[in-house]
Amino acid sequence: MSLDVLAAAVVLVGLIAYAMFGGADFGGGVWIALAAGPRARQQREAIYRAMGPVWETNHVWLILIVVTLFTAFPSAFADLFTALFVPLVIALVGIVFRGAAFAFRHYGQLVATRLPATGAVFSVASILTPLTMGMALGAVAGGHISIDGGAVTSGLYEPWLHPFAIVCGLIAIAICGFLTACYMTTRSVGALQEDFRNRGRAASLALGALTTLALPLAWWDASAFSDRLLRPMPLAVMSLAVVMGVCSLAVLWRRVYVIVPPVAAATVALVIAAWGAVQYPYLILPDVKIADAAAGHETLLAFIIALPIGSVSLVPSLALLYLTFSEKTGGGAEADVVGDH
Amino acid sequence: MFDTVNSSRALMGMSLAFHICFSAIGIGLPLLLFLAEGIALRTGNDVYREMARRWTRVAAVLFAVGAVSGTILSFEFGLLWPTFMDFSGAIIGFPFALEGFAFFTEAIFLGIYMYGWDRLSRVAHWLCTVPLVLSSSLSALFVISANSWMNEPAGFVLRDGKAVNVDPIAAMFNRATPYEVVHGSIAAYVATGFAVAGIYAVAMLRGRRSEYNRRALMLALAVAAVFTPLQFVSGDLGARFLAHHQPEKFAAMEGQFQTEKGAPLRIGGFPDTAAKETRYAIEIPKLLSFMGYEDFNAEVRGLNDFPQNAIPDTRLVHYPFQIMVASGFAMLVVALAAFAVAWWRRRFDPGRLLLIGIACMAPLGFVAIEAGWFVTEFGRQPWIIYGLMRTDEAATPREGIWAVFLVFFLVYVALAAGLALLLLREGRRSRAQGNGLREVPRVA
Repeated sequence: MSLDVLAAAVVLVGLIAYAMFGGADFGGGVWIALAAGPRARQQREAIYRAMGPVWETNHVWLILIVVTLFTAFPSAFADLFTALFVPLVIALVGIVFRGAAFAFRHYGQLVATRLPATGAVFSVASILTPLTMGMALGAVAGGHISIDGGAVTSGLYEPWLHPFAIVCGLIAIAICGFLTACYMTTRSVGALQEDFRNRGRAASLALGALTTLALPLAWWDASAFSDRLLRPMPLAVMSLAVVMGVCSLAVLWRRVYVIVPPVAAATVALVIAAWGAVQYPYLILPDVKIADAAAGHETLLAFIIALPIGSVSLVPSLALLYLTFSEKTGGGAEADVVGDH
Repeated sequence: MFDTVNSSRALMGMSLAFHICFSAIGIGLPLLLFLAEGIALRTGNDVYREMARRWTRVAAVLFAVGAVSGTILSFEFGLLWPTFMDFSGAIIGFPFALEGFAFFTEAIFLGIYMYGWDRLSRVAHWLCTVPLVLSSSLSALFVISANSWMNEPAGFVLRDGKAVNVDPIAAMFNRATPYEVVHGSIAAYVATGFAVAGIYAVAMLRGRRSEYNRRALMLALAVAAVFTPLQFVSGDLGARFLAHHQPEKFAAMEGQFQTEKGAPLRIGGFPDTAAKETRYAIEIPKLLSFMGYEDFNAEVRGLNDFPQNAIPDTRLVHYPFQIMVASGFAMLVVALAAFAVAWWRRRFDPGRLLLIGIACMAPLGFVAIEAGWFVTEFGRQPWIIYGLMRTDEAATPREGIWAVFLVFFLVYVALAAGLALLLLREGRRSRAQGNGLREVPRVA
């Protein structure tokens, strides 16, 4: 594998990790908005509680993606941020309000001050961000960004306000909601666990329906994507994603909770990997290939060498973080009152 | 006025001005946590543990705002300066990639630290501050090195407008890096130390002379007072570096229009860019020549002798520079006074005058950071990459950036307002708690 493809693989792995970890935090906002039934309050508190120690770490995957893009593919980075100006600004505002609302709400509990609407802001921002990011990815995959002679020629709105891109945005929301519900089944017990199981089943069906809808839609609206679909690699990854999605529904149905989170994460990873397989060897369909946008050999080499060195400290630290905070929430648990007496 | 370039500069400037405060706290607070909890472990004095606990609470929200405001910047690189990033991403992306790992480490151990008070052993919990201190100062190195590169581009060969033969390590360790990184990092410790000390000084001035407040003040002030004199050394070395490597910035800082042998150091004064002279400054003869070139009669090149389309507006550089230096001197005086009092009385129990001084220093570290950052940035203009790419060539082709500016202006207002409300409440609550905490039993 050449260095540029390796760097592109890092972007894809970063996206998968961001979806698997950060996506679940956005999904938290989705389910906090949709909390219902007699245990609505407990659902919300359990989600806030699970997110507290980890959301900032999960957010760093996004930074890793952005940084990898501008280091390894500087011209593509410039093109993407020019072409997707509007959805990225919206996503950014969402990211800021999501993080700030969470931190303000949490801190407000510690000092007994409730700022107005932090919960609502948190939820709206948590839905808006994956929606616009999914639309941005849909615009990249759909082939609606046009680049001519190194300059972006598509307008502010048309690349991402396409039916295909919009469905990609909805898929992103479904992914987030699906992951959160699945993860929460092992972080809760009793009736609360049942609540999250039901939400997980609903979300997995929604995810299945939306991804199924996206395929015929691509033929009509995103031929750059659909033309590349019927090749061995994309078909293989996509089939695996379907199998894994069915598995996740099955384990939810049969309440085999220990393997629900890994199966759900694998489903999402395969969905995104399928997108990557369709795109390969293009970075931005249909104009920019990975090799064309890549930085010079020296930069890629330094970057690729730095990765395993950084990972030596990163992987055990991540494991420590997730293992330290993986306890269950029961029926009536209150929010973790941290750093307080 | 509201064209793309100016709007982009205003937006980037606002975003950095906001973020830089939180990044300074993000570098300074881990050191205070490390010290406070370390002292608690070593002496068994639980006042220090309580200190670390309360600071953690505040740190959590400040770090979160720092994380999201930093994300804004990483996006704005692409949204506002795609041409700049297209050219330099391959050169300075590397330290940002390393910064990504440092940020990961910081976020992970911050999560463990904040939420692990009752889950980890005391020693393990304290040890979490070590990666926090290290990763935050490494982050400073990585990020500031990128800014240094914009001032002192290195690590590539220019061929047909493209950078080839890129050496990311050489770019990262360009000649400006040591000066900028040391100056920027020390500034973070000084600003955080004085800000925290100032808060407790206010509390003590209001009559709450508890053991907790006294010790918290002492610890934070010790950090500030140790780093403040070092900052003068690093600033002096930085000025000499600029005199040799960015002489137009050096001249702009000093309001030096004429090329002059034995140039005076100007304190204050009003640079008049039309008449090309700096009026009403207190001039110390020959000192500028000495500071720049270690020779009282050395020639200092004035702004008039540079190409006039490639010099910064001295007003935007000279005034912030004066503010930075004045703030620095004020902090130095207070730091030395604190040392003197502590040495004289063999115990640190500051009197009213010193407390007022410390309280006044609380915002000055941040004022100095903002002013110093103005000096670097405005002093580099009209270049985004010194001598290589002009700022107006680097901006996005997108129009209507002023609208985005407006959006983010409102975002920052919302963030600042929320934060202010919460921190004021924290103060009120600490006050209420502080009364009950006045006599914390000493274990050892």
